[in-house]
Amino acid sequence: MTYKMELINLKKSYNSVKVLKNLNLNVNEGEFLVILGPSGEGKSTLLRTIVGIEQLDGGKVMVDGKDVTNRPPNKKNIAMVFQNYALYPNMTVYENIAFPLKMAGMNKTEIKTKVNDVAKLLKIEDVLDKNATRLSGGQKQRVAIARALVRKPALFLLDEPLSNLDARVRYTSRQELKRLQKELNYTFIYVTHDQLEASNLADRVAVLHDGVIEQIGTYNDLYEKPATKWVGDFIGAYPMNFIDGNVLNYPDKIIGFRSVWTTNGDTIKAKINLIENSEGNYYVHCTSGESNIVIKTKDQYSVGDDISFDLTRFNIYNNGVLEDVKLTEYYKSEPS
Amino acid sequence: MKNSNILSYILAIILAIIFIYPLYILILIAFEPVSLTFDRLYPYQLPFDFTLVNFESSIKDLSLITPVLRSVVVAFIVAILAIVLSTSAGYGLNKISSKFSNKIIVLMFFANMLPAIVIAIPISVYFIKLGLYDNVFGIALAQELVVLPISTFIMLGGFRALPVDIENQTNIDGANLLSSFRYVLVPLIRVPLIITFLLAWMTSWDEFTYAIIISPLAPTFPVSLYDYVSRGDPFISSSFALLVTIPVIVIVVFLQKYLKGEYLTGGMKA
Repeated sequence: MTYKMELINLKKSYNSVKVLKNLNLNVNEGEFLVILGPSGEGKSTLLRTIVGIEQLDGGKVMVDGKDVTNRPPNKKNIAMVFQNYALYPNMTVYENIAFPLKMAGMNKTEIKTKVNDVAKLLKIEDVLDKNATRLSGGQKQRVAIARALVRKPALFLLDEPLSNLDARVRYTSRQELKRLQKELNYTFIYVTHDQLEASNLADRVAVLHDGVIEQIGTYNDLYEKPATKWVGDFIGAYPMNFIDGNVLNYPDKIIGFRSVWTTNGDTIKAKINLIENSEGNYYVHCTSGESNIVIKTKDQYSVGDDISFDLTRFNIYNNGVLEDVKLTEYYKSEPS
Repeated sequence: MKNSNILSYILAIILAIIFIYPLYILILIAFEPVSLTFDRLYPYQLPFDFTLVNFESSIKDLSLITPVLRSVVVAFIVAILAIVLSTSAGYGLNKISSKFSNKIIVLMFFANMLPAIVIAIPISVYFIKLGLYDNVFGIALAQELVVLPISTFIMLGGFRALPVDIENQTNIDGANLLSSFRYVLVPLIRVPLIITFLLAWMTSWDEFTYAIIISPLAPTFPVSLYDYVSRGDPFISSSFALLVTIPVIVIVVFLQKYLKGEYLTGGMKA
């Protein structure tokens, strides 16, 4: 029941704006792949072109080795959950979930068992008779997922399904989504701009930038070894710090390091501009040479102080592309 | 606060009186003896007497029945045709950019900017050739000119108010165009559909210019009512007019409960 998907050279533009430029992506069977990118980078467009509600300008969508690019959405067997859930307001929850089965021409008793099964799985049995408009955000989201699940599609596409929920509901829904995906072993493609969701949910994260997948890997890979300066800048609660390579004797290169990859020392010097207190740690914004950097420390400083530190590890970038990953003498296998 | 409330009630009552007054006069003429209405230089504004003579004679004189039935047939053809055409037009216009669709709507209103009589005469020339002259279907087609622009405008508004992803979702769920209309779109645009139907029906019911030019020998109700009034039989015609107004009022009151905004807003989070 699980399928793999390949996207080959997807192209899409609106008027003169190229949204997708030769995008390639492989999704494995039963994988939870998160597509991460800032707003307006075409994440939703990518999902919409995969499912076929928007036309591609070029490229191929292969599901389980078959080319489904030119099939209309209703023949693609790909389910999608929209950000606003797109429940049918004129129907009850039961009718909403039953709709894809009804369209597939299934008989009533069969529909009934399937809807009840999926309702049980998502714990929405007691709202089946309610009108879809009378539900809470979390329930709507479950109904939308139930409607996608019920027909056992080849692929699931989810377009920021948690972004309309309250913080608490979002947390529980996230856990549940992950559990569901592992339990049923379906292939999920999940679009978000939220790094927390990405790091929590994903088997692999694909970073979409400028119409192509800039990097794909586990969240830790993206965090520790960003393939480009842009990814380093984008991933993480604090962007990766970049300083001139001459400081560490790498002329013409750029050194990249995370705020937490620092330790006491005197190799790098900087001047403090701003201090953020975060649960017992301090995030110190400072200027080193030409670059603005952020360093995590346990010591107390005040604005205007000079600060110096060493690195436990760092990455070397050449022309914005990762060249090497270095662990220094201060590196411990358990970073603080 | 309270004063402005009272003021708005007063305004509403004045407005209501203005709208109801013609109907009241119609009722007065229908139920009063002629001596109190048309035979007086200054007719009484209040009912002093009551008679059913006018009604009796209007029911006895069946010559108005045929035009009424003809009007009903024409009105239903116009309304149904308006729904079919304006729904498909509104759906299509909603798919193209609003820059173009707005221009097309304006173009559609163009025909209504000219006096109806200017258009009706050339139309009737063609309708004679096509066998649509003095024909129910001919009148309906001509009246569609009046009805379609506003109907399309209403239906376009209805489709625009729908969240885009609803139709996409039906496609993803395996529905083709027809079933997506049948199960989801039509139920969701039922308010604009009803408004379109009512508007088209009533416009046709009242329409005079196209009706009298396209079908003078097989007249619709407004045309023959006009004949009666000008031939000097206003009592019978006003009581008859009252009789045929009742069903229209009943239809409007009955459909009023569907004309609430909430059918459009439910379901989707902005």
